[in-house]
Amino acid sequence: MTMKTTLKLNLGPQHPSTHGVLRLILELTGEQITSCEPDVGYLHRGMEKMAEKMSYIQYLPTVDRIDYLAGFFYSELYIRTIEKALNIEIPEKAKKIRALLLELNRISSHLLWIGAFLMDLGAISPFFYAFREREMILRYFEKLTGQRMMYNYFVFGGVRHDIDFLEDIEEILNILPEKIKDYERIITDNPIFLTRTKNKGVLTQKTAINYAITGVNLRASGVNYDIRKSDYLYEEIDFNPVIMEDGDCWARYKARILEIKESLKIVKEVLEYLKKSEKLKQNLIKPIGIILPEGEYYSEIEAPRGLASCYIVSDGKENPYRLKWRTGSYYSVNLLRELLVGNYLNDAIAIAGSLDIILPEVDK
Amino acid sequence: MNTEKFLQIFQDAQLSGDKIILKSGLHDALKFLREQSTFCILKDISAIDRSEKGIELIYHLYSQIDNEDVLISICVKDEAESVIDLFKSAIADENEIYDMFGIHFSGNERLKRLYMPQDWEGFPLRKDYVEKDSRLAWNDNEDNA
Repeated sequence: MTMKTTLKLNLGPQHPSTHGVLRLILELTGEQITSCEPDVGYLHRGMEKMAEKMSYIQYLPTVDRIDYLAGFFYSELYIRTIEKALNIEIPEKAKKIRALLLELNRISSHLLWIGAFLMDLGAISPFFYAFREREMILRYFEKLTGQRMMYNYFVFGGVRHDIDFLEDIEEILNILPEKIKDYERIITDNPIFLTRTKNKGVLTQKTAINYAITGVNLRASGVNYDIRKSDYLYEEIDFNPVIMEDGDCWARYKARILEIKESLKIVKEVLEYLKKSEKLKQNLIKPIGIILPEGEYYSEIEAPRGLASCYIVSDGKENPYRLKWRTGSYYSVNLLRELLVGNYLNDAIAIAGSLDIILPEVDK
Repeated sequence: MNTEKFLQIFQDAQLSGDKIILKSGLHDALKFLREQSTFCILKDISAIDRSEKGIELIYHLYSQIDNEDVLISICVKDEAESVIDLFKSAIADENEIYDMFGIHFSGNERLKRLYMPQDWEGFPLRKDYVEKDSRLAWNDNEDNA
């Protein structure tokens, strides 16, 4: 007599490969996953409720914490929503500085992902290589803004002070492409890596769209959707969104490698502009006592983990009536319900890791 | 999107700014937009507490083919129609709104406390939410003193 029994397994919340505190309640038949129920909220800080109690400038330093690996993106998103509401045009050079820092931040975020993903799969050394290169970028951020992760460098109407130490970026641009080639030599065609990632966790276009997946994960499934193309910061910058067809873990890895290369191209282009430009002149607005006119304001940005958006409803008072964040990772966690089913338990880590989920962004 | 055609089919809908405001028939409207039009991505659902008018839900749809956004808004009291059969991403959004605003989505069986503990009382993003909760250590209340 055969008896079909299922086993309930808690993956996390303290499992190192969940990149934070994500709990997945898995149901297994043998080693096959039959259902997955994500449980989030361990990092909930009430970012949206907090906004309703704070003035606009008070809230500004907290927004970097929504995604601590890509802090510039969320400050930019918040500030751009407020600038849109107040009809502020920022100077050309400030735009370029923002674009440069965003792309450097995207590179550092992707580098960390490459290291952590390979570590999930059991390869230790790429982690150290990726962190070594990421360190160069973080050092530069520290030199410029005084912070390694929570920068608080963008302000309403521009940036806190003019950009400096451009020779450091040049050095990064000299070193990084060589290192990326090294990664590709070690990782991309590695037979162990290929067996663990090829045809694993295939995300079809239809599923991705139905689950509102955005960013690299969507582009790795063959959908050309990159809102940088219509972003005002990237207006005169020439770049091509990275599109991969397969939609498996390997395609998501390769898309991120290619995206780093594309970001380096943008950094190079902007750097040329900044080297020739004059000293930054900007009219910063007085941050204390900002009041948004009554109404609703919405803006979005292409963050490293998918589309992020900020929606502010103002009733003409000093603090927002309602502030809502949309973050890419939250939808990726939701996708795990479907993507993990039918796979083996030992692939679950690879598949969940390949989506680049970060938990502070999920919990907000 | 052909807004006029939409307004013809959904008679009680009206355009206000860049939002289409519905009085009822949310599920039908979203089904129409998804199946008869090209709006396949539900970017997110936002909820706003409009006090007397109830909770306003804003459905943000996007068409990748036409590169166009549309906002559908509806005011509800405590219950709304679920759209998880049309958009799987709504599982995430509806659960978040249930947790923060206490709205039940009929047809969605998966609703549970998400960010807040399972035994939490009240819905934090509602304007009438009482913040003096004895379980919050930083509130000076008699139990803690």
